[in-house]
Amino acid sequence: MNKFIVTLLLGLALSSGVYAGELVKMKGKTQGRTNHEFIYQDGCQGCHQGSGKKNATDSACVECHGEINSIPVDESMLAIPEAHPHKSLHYNQGASCLACHGEHEKKAPVCAECHRTWFGEM
Amino acid sequence: MHNRRNFLKLSAGAAIGGMAAALPSTSLAKECQAIKWDESHDVIIVGSGFAGLSAALNTKRQGIKSVLVLEKMQVIGGNSAINGGWLAIPKNPIQLAQGIEDDSPEELVKDQIISGRGMQNEAALRQIANRALDAYELCIGTGVKFRDSFNIQVGGHNKARAIRTQHGTGGDITTKLYEAGVREGVEYRLQHYIEDFIMDGQEIVGVKVRKNYHFPDITTGSTIYIKANKAVILANGGFARNMKLREVVDPSLDPTLDCTNALGATGEVTLTAMAHGALPVHMNLIQTGHWGSPDEGGFGWSNALLSIGWHQGAAISVLNGKRFMDERADRKTCSEAIMKNRYPDNSPAYPIVLFNYEKYKDDDRVVRALRDKMAWKLDSLDEIASKFNIPAAELKRTINEYNGHVSARKDPLFNRKMDTAEVLTGPFVVSRIWPKVHYCMGGLKTDLAARVIDGRSMSPIKKLYAIGEVTGGIHGEARLSSTSCLECLAMGIVVSETIKSDAQA
Repeated sequence: MNKFIVTLLLGLALSSGVYAGELVKMKGKTQGRTNHEFIYQDGCQGCHQGSGKKNATDSACVECHGEINSIPVDESMLAIPEAHPHKSLHYNQGASCLACHGEHEKKAPVCAECHRTWFGEM
Repeated sequence: MHNRRNFLKLSAGAAIGGMAAALPSTSLAKECQAIKWDESHDVIIVGSGFAGLSAALNTKRQGIKSVLVLEKMQVIGGNSAINGGWLAIPKNPIQLAQGIEDDSPEELVKDQIISGRGMQNEAALRQIANRALDAYELCIGTGVKFRDSFNIQVGGHNKARAIRTQHGTGGDITTKLYEAGVREGVEYRLQHYIEDFIMDGQEIVGVKVRKNYHFPDITTGSTIYIKANKAVILANGGFARNMKLREVVDPSLDPTLDCTNALGATGEVTLTAMAHGALPVHMNLIQTGHWGSPDEGGFGWSNALLSIGWHQGAAISVLNGKRFMDERADRKTCSEAIMKNRYPDNSPAYPIVLFNYEKYKDDDRVVRALRDKMAWKLDSLDEIASKFNIPAAELKRTINEYNGHVSARKDPLFNRKMDTAEVLTGPFVVSRIWPKVHYCMGGLKTDLAARVIDGRSMSPIKKLYAIGEVTGGIHGEARLSSTSCLECLAMGIVVSETIKSDAQA
């Protein structure tokens, strides 16, 4: 993966306050996030080591975005200060990116299982 | 057959001995194949709640080299991560600072014997209570923070001995235990689902695992085999989220009852252990709370909010605007009364609980409930009637009558104790209620050292251990609040000692 592009995109994403890219048609029928367009150009293997349904892990996310505790969240968007999903009182660093983020579909974060009014679909 | 370990049968259920004897050797050869282990570890732990995390850390500290924790969900911590963070510790420092010096492990056991109603395992409870200070030290040593000067008496305990984590959630403990484990070399894997155990007769030799599993879709991920050199510890929790299983063992647990547990509490590993001979006990003993709200997930705020509602307010049926129970009766009585509220199609007609707003508007319990929209501030009975579709005239008549009972300090309808009841004038705090399933007292039978007992031989299944809510027969008929966290942490210590001594034997 091109480190320069990654750095550039990450910088853009942070400076414009974007959380996750919009969900759009990416490849055939598959939807994906606009901020991940460059990954799709390389094929699916960047995230799926193996066939589509089998393998998708955090490693690809962490490679570009860093570990969960280091990823900034716009705290003005939080229902209460404790509701910080990247420094969760329940999971902190013990949460997979996939618990809250879907690449190909909108997904309610794991917090919404109990705190239904705090978090919408992402 | 001289080298049985190379000819372990891969399919679930059937024990090698019995089946093989009945089959001609050719068909046995066809069914069997050598297992290609993808990896091996000394200790494999299933589940990452209090029990699994404590077991992992303590096993590692016993000098075991390779400890692997398998968690099927996408987060570490299981149900423990979302629990209330209460921990019963006799002789804890805060208790002693409060001047309570007459508590002891034995006092805690005495309380648990009462709530267990003769079905509890005294020796197991005593062992756990005796390790309470060790469990407390485990927390402190990994950086867990408890509330300053906070030690209270919770339901069913005869002494103030329950401390609570800083943020009032078990996550304050699970995150610290996990992070300590990471530092000390425990390996954790998310999204690893146990498909089956690999047995050699009455010995477990490894697990068949679905890696990169995506709960709850069983077709996701791919199968790998992991060998366990010294032990497999089941710490997979209860099955309160398994709607079919809980209804089979207790038909009174209506499918409309939600659950306070994390979504992963579905108990399939418990069933797999049973399929391999592990003895289940007390499976029908399942605790419910009548204090649930259908307007929030999990445990939620409702329990706390209703500590005002039951005492100072009233519960009303939306069907006819009338009261229908003694709001201060016990869990079972209230649950049964609440669940009778149904529409003609049998769907729940969630009753409401209301109390006066002004006096409690700054109370944390009210502030949180209104903020998170699981309760509402409504100014008049007409507003309540309209929002919840209650016959308005009947509601007004009921509240008028109720206010008379409050003034008279006597409830002729349900004989409720009226000492704390307040005349309801509005504006009101109003929430909806429906019971939720909370805790499974039943599970796998273990000996005191946490070895899983095979019901066919009544002896331990070699190398298979179980701790925490997956085990059964410890608490008896009802578990006391703040004792599960203690049990899990303490048994994580006990099992690590057992494994060390069993491995040397």
